[in-house]
Amino acid sequence: MKKAILRNIAIVSALFIVTFSIMLITNYFQVRDTTPLQTEVVETLKQLNDANNTNLALQEQIRQLDLLARKAYFVRLDHLMAGVYILLGMLVVFIVSARFYFAKDKNIPVKTIDPVDEWVDKTQARKYVVWVASGMTAVALVFVLLSSPYLTTKEKTSKDGAAETNPQETALVAEESAVPEAGADTLQTAAEEAVSEVAASKVTHNSFRGNNSNGISAAKGVPVKWNLSSGTHIAWKQSIPRKGFNSPVINGNKVFFSGADDQARELYCYDLNTGEKLWSLAAVNIKGSPKQMPKTTKDTGLAASSVATNGKQVCAIFATGDIICADMDGKQLWAKNLGAPSNHYGYASSLLAFGNEVFVQYDNQNSPKVVALDMATGTERWSKSRTEKITWSSPVIAYVNNKPQLVLMGNPAITAYDPNNGKQLWRVECLSGEVGSSACSANGIVFGASEYAKLVAINATDGSVLWESNDYLPEVSSPVATKDNLYLATSYGVVASFDTKTGQTGKVHELNTEFYSSPVIAEGKVYLFSNDGKMFVFSADKEFRLLDSFETGEHTFATPAFTDNKIVVRTENSIYCVTAN
Amino acid sequence: MAQNRFPKPDFESGYKYPEIHHAIPNEELLVAIDIILLVALMGIVSWAVIKKRTRGPILWVSVISVAYFGFFRKGCVCSIGSVQNVALALTDNTYALPLSVLLFFILPVLFAFLFGRVFCAGVCPFGALQELVNIKNYKLPKALTTVLGMMPWFYLIFALLYAVTRSSFIICRFDPFIGIFRLGGDIGMITCGVILLIMAMFTGRPFCRFFCPYGALLSIFSSVSIWKIKLTDKPCINCELCHNACPVDAIRPPYANKAKESRLRGVKRLLNYFVLLPLLILCGAFLMRSVSSELSRANKEVRLYDMVMQHEANPGDVLSLELEAFYGQGDSIEGLTQRYEKVQADFKLYTTIAGALMGLVVAITLIGLSVKRTRKQYEIDHAACVGCARCFSYCPQYKIGNESGNIAL
Ligand code: SF4
Ligand code: SF4
Repeated sequence: MKKAILRNIAIVSALFIVTFSIMLITNYFQVRDTTPLQTEVVETLKQLNDANNTNLALQEQIRQLDLLARKAYFVRLDHLMAGVYILLGMLVVFIVSARFYFAKDKNIPVKTIDPVDEWVDKTQARKYVVWVASGMTAVALVFVLLSSPYLTTKEKTSKDGAAETNPQETALVAEESAVPEAGADTLQTAAEEAVSEVAASKVTHNSFRGNNSNGISAAKGVPVKWNLSSGTHIAWKQSIPRKGFNSPVINGNKVFFSGADDQARELYCYDLNTGEKLWSLAAVNIKGSPKQMPKTTKDTGLAASSVATNGKQVCAIFATGDIICADMDGKQLWAKNLGAPSNHYGYASSLLAFGNEVFVQYDNQNSPKVVALDMATGTERWSKSRTEKITWSSPVIAYVNNKPQLVLMGNPAITAYDPNNGKQLWRVECLSGEVGSSACSANGIVFGASEYAKLVAINATDGSVLWESNDYLPEVSSPVATKDNLYLATSYGVVASFDTKTGQTGKVHELNTEFYSSPVIAEGKVYLFSNDGKMFVFSADKEFRLLDSFETGEHTFATPAFTDNKIVVRTENSIYCVTAN
Repeated sequence: MAQNRFPKPDFESGYKYPEIHHAIPNEELLVAIDIILLVALMGIVSWAVIKKRTRGPILWVSVISVAYFGFFRKGCVCSIGSVQNVALALTDNTYALPLSVLLFFILPVLFAFLFGRVFCAGVCPFGALQELVNIKNYKLPKALTTVLGMMPWFYLIFALLYAVTRSSFIICRFDPFIGIFRLGGDIGMITCGVILLIMAMFTGRPFCRFFCPYGALLSIFSSVSIWKIKLTDKPCINCELCHNACPVDAIRPPYANKAKESRLRGVKRLLNYFVLLPLLILCGAFLMRSVSSELSRANKEVRLYDMVMQHEANPGDVLSLELEAFYGQGDSIEGLTQRYEKVQADFKLYTTIAGALMGLVVAITLIGLSVKRTRKQYEIDHAACVGCARCFSYCPQYKIGNESGNIAL
C-alpha cells in the first residue's frame, strides 16, 4: 500500500518535471530574445527624439515605455526563477519518493546468470568507436564544405554572371580539397588563393578615400610592391575612356569611377577581378543641365569628384552640376542637375555615401549648401545653406561618442552636421584661402588642414580646438589619422606625422616630389602616391618609417582604392589593379 | 540593482544614480577554509577507503561537500574548471593564476597519485551530489560506456583549446550543476542538470563517467597511484557480488581468454591499430585545423571583427551596442585586425594540437580494446574507480567485525 503511494508520487512528480521542463524551456527562449533596451517602439521614438529633442512630452513617453519594458522583462525573469524553484522542489520530491520506493531491494546485488564475455563487448565497442570517429570526421567535413569559399563563390558568380568560373568545376574542386590526402598547408593556401580570385571581399571602399571618406581601409593582404611596366603583381590594366581626376571606389567585385570631356560625362563600372568593362552610363537629357560646358582648369576638369556607392546604388557628379545614380547593374535610377556651380577651377568635391543617402558638398559662388539625397530615388532628404566661400574639399563622416557626424571643410570654417537631419553640431572658424583638402577623424577628434591656413585638431564632442599647428600644410591631399598619429602630405614634397594628442610634429620626410593623392592607411601602413607616380609606403606608427618606395611608371593624382589583396589605382590615362598574388 | 544592469537612458533626466555599495565578505578567510576543508575531506576519504575500507565517512564527506562546496560556496572554486585557468596560465604569462585555483587543481591530482580518485569519492560536490541521489544501478552496455568514456577526453581537449585561446571557459559556461547549487541561472543548463540527476538516480554518476574532463585527468594519475584501493585483503572467491555493486562499472571480472579468434588475427589487428595511430593523429590534426576558423567564432575578438567588417561594408547601418562600444572607445580597425589575426593564428596552432590529441584518444581507445589480458579474479580498474567504497561491504570476505557494519547505501 505504502509502496503504491510512493510509486504514484514518484510517477506524478516525474511527469510534472518533464512537462514543466518543456514549459520552462519554451518560456526561456521567448525571454531570451527580448532585450529590454532595444524594443522597436522605444527605438523609433528615440529616433524621433533625436530629430527634435525639444519635445518634453515625447521624452516623458520614452521614459515611461522604457521603464515598462524593463519592468516587464524583470517580471518575466522572476517568473522563470520561480519556475526553477518549483522544478528543483519537484526533483527533491521525486528523489525522495523513488528512494523510499526502492529502499527494500537496493542492497540486493544482481547476479548475472550468463557471465559477460569481455571480448564480445570489446569487439562491439571497437565498432562503436569507429562509428563515432567517422561521425566526427563527417561533421568536420561538412563544416569544411559549408565554410568553403567555393560554395559562396558559386552563389555570387551565378548571381552577377560576370565571373567566368564554371560552378560545377568549383564544386568539384571543393570536394577534392576536402579529402585529406595532401599536406594541410598546401590545400589551405590553394583554397585561400582561390577565394581571393573570385569571391568578393567584404571590405568595401565606397567613397573617395574609403568608407566614411576617412582614409582608413580594413583590407587585408594588401600588396606592398608592384611594377606596372613588367606587369608584376598587376592583375589588369585598362586605358581610361574619358579623363577625370576622380578616385575609383570598390564594392564587391565592382570598381566604379567616372570620366568626362566636352563630348560626354560618364560613370563606369569595371570588374575588379578581370578588369573587364561591365557597363557605363552617360549623363544625358538632364533637365537644367547647362548647354555650355563650364570653364574648368586643366588640373581640375569636368570629373574631379569621386563617385560613391552603398552597394545598392552608385552615384556620380560632374562639374556641370549633373548628378546621376544607377543600380549596380548600370540601370539609371535618377538624374538631376543641382544648378550649374560657379567655380573658377571647376567643381571638385566628391560624393559621400552613407547608408541610403549620398551627401553633396556644394560650396559654390552663388549658393553654397550641403545636400543629402536619397540614393535610390534622388529625393532631397535635407539641405542646409552654408556661409562658406567656394571650397573644393569633400565631406567625411566622423564617429564621435558612437554617433556619426558629417564634417565639412570650408572657408572660413570646419562645420559638423548631424547626417540624419543636417542640424549643425559645431562650427570652428579656422581656415582661409582656397580649401581643397578634406578633414579626417580618429578617436572623436576631427583634424582639418589647408595650405596658407593651419592644421587644427577639434574635439568633436563640443567643437573646442585642442591644438593648432602650421609647420606643414597640405594643399590638395587630405590628412589621415590613427588614434595616436596624424599623417599628411604637402604639395611641396614633405610628408609629416603629428602626435594627435599634443600636435607635436613627429617624423618628417622631405621627398622632393609633389603630392595631390591622399594617404590611405591599410594593414598598419600608410600608402601614398606622388604625382609622378612614385608609391611611398610608411609604417603607420610613431616612428613613421619609410618602409619602401618605388616608381610605378604613370602620373597618379587620384587616391587608390583598397580591398582584400587588391589595390585599384587610377592614373592619368589608365586604371589598373594591383594584386597580392 | 536592476537599474544598473543595462546602460542608462540616452538623455539627461536629472535623476541621480545611487552609489553602489557591495558588502565584501572576508574572502581570504573563506578561501583558506576551502583549502583546509579540501585537504581534510580528501584525507578522511583516503583513510576510509584505503585503511578502513568503509563507506560511512564517505557519505558524511559527501553531505558536507554538497552543503559547503556546493550550496554554500556555490560550486566555485571548482577543481574541474581550474584545468582551464592552469592551461591559460601555462600558455599566457600575462595571466596571473590565483594560488587558490592552483591548489584546487593540484591537490586532488596529488591525492589521486597517492590514493586514487579520493577527490571524486565525495569531496567533489558534483560527484557527491550524484552519489547521494543514486538509488539503483542499472548497468549500461559495456560497449556503449566505453564509447561514451571518450567524451570527457574530447571535452577536456575543447576546454583547453578555448581556454588557451582566451575565448571562453566552456567548462564553467556549460556546467549543469552550478544552476542547482545556486538555485538560479541559465534555464537550459539547469534542465540539463535535472536530467543528469534523474539519470544519476538509476545509473552511477553519468556526469563523472561521460562528461567530467577533470575526472579524465585524475584517472591517469589514479591508475598509477601509489596506494591502491583493494577489494579485499583476503583471496577473492570470485563470487561476482562486488562486480554488480560498482556504480561506475570499475570492477573487471576474471577473464579466461576464451575468445574464439585466432591469436594471429588479434596480433594483426593490434599491429594495424599501431600503424593507424600516427594516421589518426594526422587526420585529426588536419580536420581540426580546417575547421579552426569556424571554431574561432567563439572568440569575442573574432565576433567583433566580423561585426566591424560587416559594418565597414555597409557603413550606414545602425550601430549595434558592441559596435558602438568599439567605435566609441576609439579602437582602431588596425588594432582589431591585428588582434583578430593573432587569435586566428593561435586557433590554427591549437586546433592542430587539439585534433592530434583527439586522434590519439581514438587510437588509444582502439588499441585498449584490442588487447587481451587474462585476469584470475575480480579486479578494480583504478582509472575508473571513484573510490565510493560501495563494493567492500558486498564482498563475503569483508571483515564481519567491521564496526561500520553493512553499509551499502
Ligand atoms: S569525475 Fe569529475 S564530477 Fe565526478 S567526482 Fe570526479 S571530479 Fe567530480
Ligand atoms: S570503490 Fe568499488 S564500487 Fe566504488 S567505484 Fe571503486 S570499484 Fe566501484
